[in-house]
Amino acid sequence: MALFWEFFTFELKFRFKSLSTYVYFIVWLMFSFLNVASESFGPVGNSNGKILLNGPWANAYNDIGAALFGIIIIAAIFGTSILRDFQRDTYQILFTQPISKFAYLGGRWAGSFVTAVFAFSGTMFGTFLGTFAPWADHTRIGPNHLWTYLQPFLSILVVQIFFLGSVFFAVAALTRKLFIVYLQGVALFMVYIIGITVFSATRSLERFWSGILDPVGFILFDDVTRYWTVIEKNTMLVTWSPALSGGVLLYNRLLWLAVGLVSLLATWALFPMSVEALTARSQGRRAAKAKQQELTEAQPVRSLVTAQLPDVHQAFTPGTTFSQYISLTRLRLRNIVRDIPFWGMVALLIAFGINNGHFAGRVAGRNIWPVTYLMVQAVEGSALLFLYIVATLYAAELLWRERDTHFDGIHDALPMRESTDWLSRLTAIIVVELTLLTVAMFVGIVMQTVAGYYHYELLQYFKELYIVTFPQVLAFTLLALFVQTIVSNKFVGHGIVIGLFVLMPILYGFGWENTLYLVGQTPTYTYSDMNGYGHFVPALFWAITYWLAITAVLGVLCIALARRGAEDSLRARARAAFRLAPRLAPLGLLFVIIAACAGAWYFYNAHVLNEYLDSKARRQIQAGYERQFKQYENLLQPKVTAVDTTINIYPERRSFDGNVRFTLQNKSKEPITQVHVTDQRQSVTNLQFDRPFRLVSSAPRGIYSIYALEQPLAPGEILTLTCNVGHQTRGFRDGNEPPEFAYNGTFFDSDYLPYIGYNPNIELDDPRRRREEKLPDLEEMAHRGDPTHSVDNIFTRESDWITYHTVVSTSADQIAIAPGYLQREWQDSGRRFFEYSLGSTHILDFFSYISARYQVRKEMYHGPNGDVALEIYYDPAHTYDLDDMLASARAGLDYYQRVYSNYQFTQFRILEFPRYRTFAQSFPNTIPYSEGIGFIGRILKPTDIDFTYFVTAHELGHQWWGHQLVGANVEGSNMMSESLAEYSALQVMAHKYGSDLMHRYLRHELDTYLRGRSSETRHEPPLALVQREPYVWYQKGGQILYTLADYLGEDKLNLALHNFLTQYRYANANNQADAHDNVRAAGAIDGSYPDTRMLVDAIKAQTPPELQYLVEDGFNRIVLYDNKAISATSQKTADGKYKVTLEVQARKVQADGNGAETPVALADYIEIGVFSGKKDEEKPLYLKKEKFTEEHKTFVIIVDQQPTLAGIDPYNKLIDKNSDDNMIDVTKQ
Amino acid sequence: MALAITGLSKTYPNGVTALKNLSLTIGNSMFGLVGPNGAGKSSLMRTIATLQDPDSGSIELDGIDVLRQKDEVRRILGYLPQEFGVYPKISALDMLQHIAVMKGMTSAGQRKETVEALLQQTNLWEVRKKALSTFSGGMKQRFGIAQALLGNPRLIIVDEPTAGLDPAERNRFLNLLSSLGSDRTVILSTHIVDDVRQLCPRMAIIASGEVLLEGPPNEALAALDGKIWSKVVATNDEMRALETQVHMISTHLVGGQHEVRVYADGSPGSTFRPVDSSLEDVYFLNLSQQAKRQLPN
Repeated sequence: MALFWEFFTFELKFRFKSLSTYVYFIVWLMFSFLNVASESFGPVGNSNGKILLNGPWANAYNDIGAALFGIIIIAAIFGTSILRDFQRDTYQILFTQPISKFAYLGGRWAGSFVTAVFAFSGTMFGTFLGTFAPWADHTRIGPNHLWTYLQPFLSILVVQIFFLGSVFFAVAALTRKLFIVYLQGVALFMVYIIGITVFSATRSLERFWSGILDPVGFILFDDVTRYWTVIEKNTMLVTWSPALSGGVLLYNRLLWLAVGLVSLLATWALFPMSVEALTARSQGRRAAKAKQQELTEAQPVRSLVTAQLPDVHQAFTPGTTFSQYISLTRLRLRNIVRDIPFWGMVALLIAFGINNGHFAGRVAGRNIWPVTYLMVQAVEGSALLFLYIVATLYAAELLWRERDTHFDGIHDALPMRESTDWLSRLTAIIVVELTLLTVAMFVGIVMQTVAGYYHYELLQYFKELYIVTFPQVLAFTLLALFVQTIVSNKFVGHGIVIGLFVLMPILYGFGWENTLYLVGQTPTYTYSDMNGYGHFVPALFWAITYWLAITAVLGVLCIALARRGAEDSLRARARAAFRLAPRLAPLGLLFVIIAACAGAWYFYNAHVLNEYLDSKARRQIQAGYERQFKQYENLLQPKVTAVDTTINIYPERRSFDGNVRFTLQNKSKEPITQVHVTDQRQSVTNLQFDRPFRLVSSAPRGIYSIYALEQPLAPGEILTLTCNVGHQTRGFRDGNEPPEFAYNGTFFDSDYLPYIGYNPNIELDDPRRRREEKLPDLEEMAHRGDPTHSVDNIFTRESDWITYHTVVSTSADQIAIAPGYLQREWQDSGRRFFEYSLGSTHILDFFSYISARYQVRKEMYHGPNGDVALEIYYDPAHTYDLDDMLASARAGLDYYQRVYSNYQFTQFRILEFPRYRTFAQSFPNTIPYSEGIGFIGRILKPTDIDFTYFVTAHELGHQWWGHQLVGANVEGSNMMSESLAEYSALQVMAHKYGSDLMHRYLRHELDTYLRGRSSETRHEPPLALVQREPYVWYQKGGQILYTLADYLGEDKLNLALHNFLTQYRYANANNQADAHDNVRAAGAIDGSYPDTRMLVDAIKAQTPPELQYLVEDGFNRIVLYDNKAISATSQKTADGKYKVTLEVQARKVQADGNGAETPVALADYIEIGVFSGKKDEEKPLYLKKEKFTEEHKTFVIIVDQQPTLAGIDPYNKLIDKNSDDNMIDVTKQ
Repeated sequence: MALAITGLSKTYPNGVTALKNLSLTIGNSMFGLVGPNGAGKSSLMRTIATLQDPDSGSIELDGIDVLRQKDEVRRILGYLPQEFGVYPKISALDMLQHIAVMKGMTSAGQRKETVEALLQQTNLWEVRKKALSTFSGGMKQRFGIAQALLGNPRLIIVDEPTAGLDPAERNRFLNLLSSLGSDRTVILSTHIVDDVRQLCPRMAIIASGEVLLEGPPNEALAALDGKIWSKVVATNDEMRALETQVHMISTHLVGGQHEVRVYADGSPGSTFRPVDSSLEDVYFLNLSQQAKRQLPN
């Protein structure tokens, strides 16, 4: 024991004298400090506006982050403790002493453990210090409690240090190779990252084993806290209680502690106290055998007379230089490829490529065709990290190799130029990088083939990998080479290179977004099948040229400062550099000139031709708009009643121009003296009214202008506004290219037209950003019945309904589309013109202009209420989903017309647009649909979710819910379009796919809802009061309505919806003047729009008394169930039937907006079911809604067949935080 | 070929003075450099081999300014550093082929011929395809010799070439060196004074960065004729006493007893007997004289 203590204290003394211990400590201190002190640094700070930055959840999450990134530090601390003796050859002295294995290994291990705990404790100090940073967001910093720091630290980091440290210690002790120590750290890190990607790609709802087997904790943590609300996250610790999420944390920790313990035992048992490593023994035996063989071979007798060496001829010509270069490069490549790490990297690259490539065809749990851009993204994504690791590692290896192997004495005296030598090093790295890229490409092609997709698009692989990615890697390589040239130690160099790599995104997060000063940065780009690399090309090209030229200058400096000879101090090399200067200066100057020109051209485009706005500046504009003009939000303004536009799109210039004519009418009871106009895109010019007016004021960028009418606009009176609109693309920007304009796939909407009055949609909504801009909390939406807001509709406050006419033109090879029926199409001076009109049909003041090179698929739908022309405008390559979309449109038209009302148009069009934006949006009879979410869908198994079908039905549903029925501009109204469209689509889908598949789909919807509420940044409203919460209006709304249809009967609910729709649709549509019919001035006064009170009433009218609670719970409260099957047994009865005894539990709570829950007494109908069949294909034998008034209930049910599964709420119709414990296997008795 | 070294001085950043205003002229023959550890031999050789710049001084080789025209020197240089490593997993053959290319041997046939001849000469032929990293110390040293002789260098600098060689290989190497012909400058540094006697028409003794003696070994030996005396001493006390009385230049153990060698113009005492002088005596005498000179400081 004394000896153990001796080793232990020695280890500690050694560690605490070593700088690295403190560096690790400081790293964690800074990491945690920034997590609290800067909201732009850590994921917690970045994500949610209400989670305390020093609360238990944040601390635990950051600790897991430290556990992940700390893998390499743990490897370094534990691995080196044992290797030190072997590196410095002290083992020969040590092992000849009488020391016990326990004292030696135990002392080393314990010393490392204490050191690692000390290093990682920096996280706690950092967080603590961060809470005192004066600039931090103190609304998100709670009181400091010791235990909320210690508990996560102990249960996450200390356990992690114990387990990983022990494993690494074991591997290091048994192999005794430093390289393996680092490699295992890196490998575990990478494997974990990949594992996480795979797991999230499968969107598995399996939450038990995935959590237990997670060695780092992200999945584990997600399993436990995924549905935690803000209050829970700020008050609850993730404890080791077996009750918490089924004890996932407890079992996980126990498992990994055990792994650590086993590693320690293995080390103790297997470690040889001898010179040879465990692995060396067999190698040694093999080597000895070979040696023996060699010695027995006959050695020829040599003459003692020295033979003359042959005469040689030397030549030093440019050809010689070239041969030298080739020979050096070959030698260096041989050094690389004959090393195991290289092949390890290739193997890992292939493995990751196969894995990611496999999931290229799966996005968010859906199958899609692995089109080339997805596959390239997948294989390149996995390769990219490798390429940067290769650049970092090999830059150092190649520069230091001669010194590391002590070959420099010979090498440096060889007659070659410094440039030849250096270029051969660079070339070796380039060859390796290109090889890896090519491997990635082949993996991609193979994986496309495996997935059954044969449209390879080799050119796209080539462009992305070799033209876009490779130069960036090359620039990084040059940077790494330069760093390694400057520093005096390889590992310091690694630190700096990795630091630079990590620093850039952090700086970007802090608002340093300028490509010209973020080293190696290029503007973001998106490849689109429709538009290729499109308008991103020039910005990318110049950014890459700029950085490549700058790093090439560094490359020239590398040559000048190359280490050669015995003196490698930087000063000595700088002196030598002066000697080389005359030869290298012209080249360096050339690169400087290229860099300057590229930089200047980039600057001219991004900062002179275009206004450069980083995200902070853009937020400031938004905040300024709100601060200055929110006062006018409720100012009475005339409403737009008719729109007539002429729009000329110039796709090749990414521009448009046109003129606009608005018919405005005063639909209030007061005269209006001023007209306010918002122009958020700086697209409006030459605004005129048809009567005398003057400009009162105009804000910078013309974002808000106030016009005074000389004659006030009397109630009912009509005013015409005309103006020019346009957008002109000039050069390129530093990222942030408006996605609306593309060479192929222009798509912009009424945002580019003037907006009458103050537009609250421009306001910042992220609470974090609002606090940063010193804005008050985002204003709550008005209550239902609010007199001011009830006369406005929720989508287009500036208007009620309009009639619409437009002429759109575009280039000759494209089709331009806007809402409306095509009246006329003609060509004029090489351009195509289209005239669209909707006649007297009323639509929302919401329209889009689209132009692209389309293929068109047309079909006529013959419905009960007349024909509807179905048209899909698509990219010629994207034919996969067309039938599906048409089928969905037909099914939707059938269903909606049958149960809701007639379709108000005679056409329905779907238009593909580039994936710069990924949504589908319902404009009147026109659905722009992103290539990023549709068009490449694929159904592989009958259980696959047909997302295209669903989205199409949803958008079609909006033609009723949104385009016929619009709610008032008050809380709740959003659900009347989104929830009802979602419900409509669910029904259309259920009619095609049946309730089993719907169950599968709805469980994902439920998961999304519960996760959504757990990251709520304000407060969660009940469905009928929803404001800006998509997870409520989509996922919760859909589920509530679908379940209501199940409880009430589909027909009953649909009748309620039909009644509601027909009573309230087109509110305020017929009391206005528009282009066609003039209503008398006195009649044109706005009434109220409907709100959710009318919807709930309509539903309640069809609901029997015993189910009224369900409507109340669904719409007006946040209600959560905790239903659970406790036990189920079956007994064969005498008459050959089966008696099932089923014990279940039902609980119900009501939550407030922050997630605080209070139990609610039960008087609820909940389904009980008994099932039979193969796993995951069970069919119900018995299904009945039972009334629950108490928590526990036991049922005895007789069924005809042998049951396998039984439980409560089997189809997850109710909202339940633990949706997977509802069912239990039936045990036979 | 003649190498003129003039006024070479070098002080390392850590304060160690390696070369002190050192001047030497090395002619077209084998030149031996002897000196104790840290004498500046390797610094001098690295400087000539273009790997290091002096603080002051100049080196000229047949009109080539060695310190400026490094590339010219490298083209005719064969250099074997005192310590060197090798790339792992590259064979001797491949490595020599590579160095041959680097040395401007453009003809592939000639390259092959030379490399093979050298492999034979250095007795590495059998292991030419084995990775250098598996070589033993002696094999590695022979490889070092082979690479230094590649490309028919006219300036050969070999730093401790015989260290780690067994007696047979050492002889073989010395033979090889001496057979290289006379039209080149060979500088050989060694601890083993005998190497120099066997090989070098001229030699220099260096200590603390200075030349203590320069000239043909024979002349140096002749100067000591009849001035070296020897005596066997039994105890340390006796030796200590002797040290104060006579100019003792070295002691050797012979059968467990100390044989003391003393420098004196006449017999230092009746117990001393005259012995033949050896080059080692020259070496030790010079070193001890230098130590004495420095003592007052």
